[in-house]
Amino acid sequence: MKLLRGLQYQLFLLPILFFYTIFTIYPLIKSFFFSLTNFNGYSKEYDFVGLANYLKIFKDTAIMSGISYTLLFAISTTVLTTLLAIVLALVLDRNFYTRNIHRAIFFFPSIPSGLILAYVWGFILSPIASGVLNSVLHDLFGMGPQPWLSEPFLAKLSTILVAVWAGAGWHAVLYLAFLQGISKDYYEAAAIDGATRFQQIRSITLPLLAPAMTISVMLLLTGGLKVFEIPFALTKGGPGFETHTITQVIVLRGISEVQFGLASAMSIVFFLIVLALTYFQVTVMQRREEKML
Amino acid sequence: MRKTSYMLLVAMMAVTLLLSACGGSGNNGNGNQTGAADGEGTASEQKVKLSLLSWNNETEMKPVIDGFTKKYPNITIDFQTAPPVKDYIAKLQTMLLSNSATDVFIMAAENRNELIDGGYALDLTDQPFMSQMTDASKGMFTRDGKTYAFSQAGWVGGIYYNKDLFAKVGVTEEPKTWQEFIDLCLKLKEAGIVPLYDNAGDISTIQGALVASMTLSNDPEYDAKLFTGEKTFADGWSEPLKLWKEGLVDNGIIDSGMIGLTGDQIVNEFAVGNVAMIQGGPWNIPAIEKANPELQFSMMAVPGVEPGQEFYAGAPNVGFAVNSKSKNQDAALKFVEYLSTPEGLELFEKGTGQIITVAGYESKVHPALEKAYKEGLLAGKFYLPMVSWPRHQEALRNQMVVSVQDLLVGKGSPEDVTKALDQKLKEMESK
Repeated sequence: MKLLRGLQYQLFLLPILFFYTIFTIYPLIKSFFFSLTNFNGYSKEYDFVGLANYLKIFKDTAIMSGISYTLLFAISTTVLTTLLAIVLALVLDRNFYTRNIHRAIFFFPSIPSGLILAYVWGFILSPIASGVLNSVLHDLFGMGPQPWLSEPFLAKLSTILVAVWAGAGWHAVLYLAFLQGISKDYYEAAAIDGATRFQQIRSITLPLLAPAMTISVMLLLTGGLKVFEIPFALTKGGPGFETHTITQVIVLRGISEVQFGLASAMSIVFFLIVLALTYFQVTVMQRREEKML
Repeated sequence: MRKTSYMLLVAMMAVTLLLSACGGSGNNGNGNQTGAADGEGTASEQKVKLSLLSWNNETEMKPVIDGFTKKYPNITIDFQTAPPVKDYIAKLQTMLLSNSATDVFIMAAENRNELIDGGYALDLTDQPFMSQMTDASKGMFTRDGKTYAFSQAGWVGGIYYNKDLFAKVGVTEEPKTWQEFIDLCLKLKEAGIVPLYDNAGDISTIQGALVASMTLSNDPEYDAKLFTGEKTFADGWSEPLKLWKEGLVDNGIIDSGMIGLTGDQIVNEFAVGNVAMIQGGPWNIPAIEKANPELQFSMMAVPGVEPGQEFYAGAPNVGFAVNSKSKNQDAALKFVEYLSTPEGLELFEKGTGQIITVAGYESKVHPALEKAYKEGLLAGKFYLPMVSWPRHQEALRNQMVVSVQDLLVGKGSPEDVTKALDQKLKEMESK
């Protein structure tokens, strides 16, 4: 009887499971299959090559550089966006006259596609003297043109900052929703006990925001690892391989260089990295949530 | 609870297996399809729906499609498009692998090898309309004496220069040698004018032209030898790259700032007179004239070391190919044939603005391109590595872009570039 009841509920999962299987599980299994072959993406004749593709990955300078840039990008955008989003959420939660307009303005960058945002930023960060930022810096401080997108360090910095700018507002709204769920009673009690505003934020707001942080950080981390649009539209991965993301290297090897088997092996390794990182992050942060409550 | 989860897992596996089975049977179906095509081919007056995939968009292809359907009222065209280059290639690739490719598609330098090797394109060698195609155009689409696509147009690229900015430093003639070209750049720089933007997002036209004049002029078979292992990139590219670096980079004429510039920005800077020279092709003209209709500009060749050794960039346009598994091969061939008629050529030129290279048809080119068209395209003085390399164009192009960017930010030497290319070629050949 108990079994039947369980089955009853799980039946509701079937439709979504069906589509999930077709669009996620099946391609994943097929990718794993291709990663063991020398399939080139065109010819229907291919051979099994065992783990040869996996061994190649670790000798490939492009993929190694892709992994290190992607990790740098994912971690720094996660940290910076989280810091900014929480502060922003606290500000937007206060009562002031243009509150709604401000919320809308900060939310706006998450509406258009990352490609369009980055295209516009491309003009702002243009390395030539007539680039928007360079001409502003020249007029204000008399600085010469800076290679915002073409010097290895500046290119990495620029792509990360644009991504933080684009994502902070959206995550601030997420924190804002949780902020509004915190009962006013806590603050009143704290005020009676003589706690300052800063003490209230530290001891009430931040601990109660922990569940929001788990979600937000997970979204930022997985989004950061899977990133493609913003760095690609800003720098096309240059200079050299400096700002190539893992996803871009997979497309490069798979589509442009018709090494579908190798690219599939990269996707599988990439899948495992993302899986391990998010599993680790969610477990650690959930434990932290429990500790804080 | 646990048991039901198990059942769900089993259901999931079952769906997966079912999908794999579908994929398999799709492949087996092929043989029957081609058999049917032969039988149906003869009935030409039947209503036919011909599908076409192109990387020219609908506006560009409309004149020629309208002309065709007017001539053959029984044929309607199902037109599909994807923008060049990667989107188009990926779309066609997906269609071919799932047996849903269009009857006619275009063959580009970037996917010709895969299309020919996979047997996806019909051999067009003996079709009467192929005699219209120039030999320079045929090369790109020919393998072992058989030609697989019809190309009626071509393009030529070089260095666009701003006549007014040249006049400002007292120059009225195009430089004839590399040294004159460098001197001109330095003169412009001294006068506070940005002399040149090369392209760091693709293989540079200037580098390609230098390779043509320094290496290929002495050894026309160099690219073929490169792929048989007789020659290396170090043999043919080192000297041109050194000359390019010493002339342009070491003199501070171009710097790493080039890397962050997009094509649109470069063209715009040229149109408003912020830079005296840029590399480009016919496709830049509409944008230049839109941004600044008053601009006095023209295209010159990349000068060689000695006078008379100048070269342009250029290539035949993409070719139209017929799907070897198409059920509508008759109609498809009629379409390609129509493209080769004077009417088809005129409508194609009108729609796409491409320069027609078919013998006996003179294209009306923009005045700025007049010299490049006559002395470059028609005289065969043009070179594009991507077209000349028989294999692995995309892999080598990507490697070249990455290595040249490293060179620009000071992370490598011309020798490092050729070394990386030789290594990439070896890797691609051995896979």
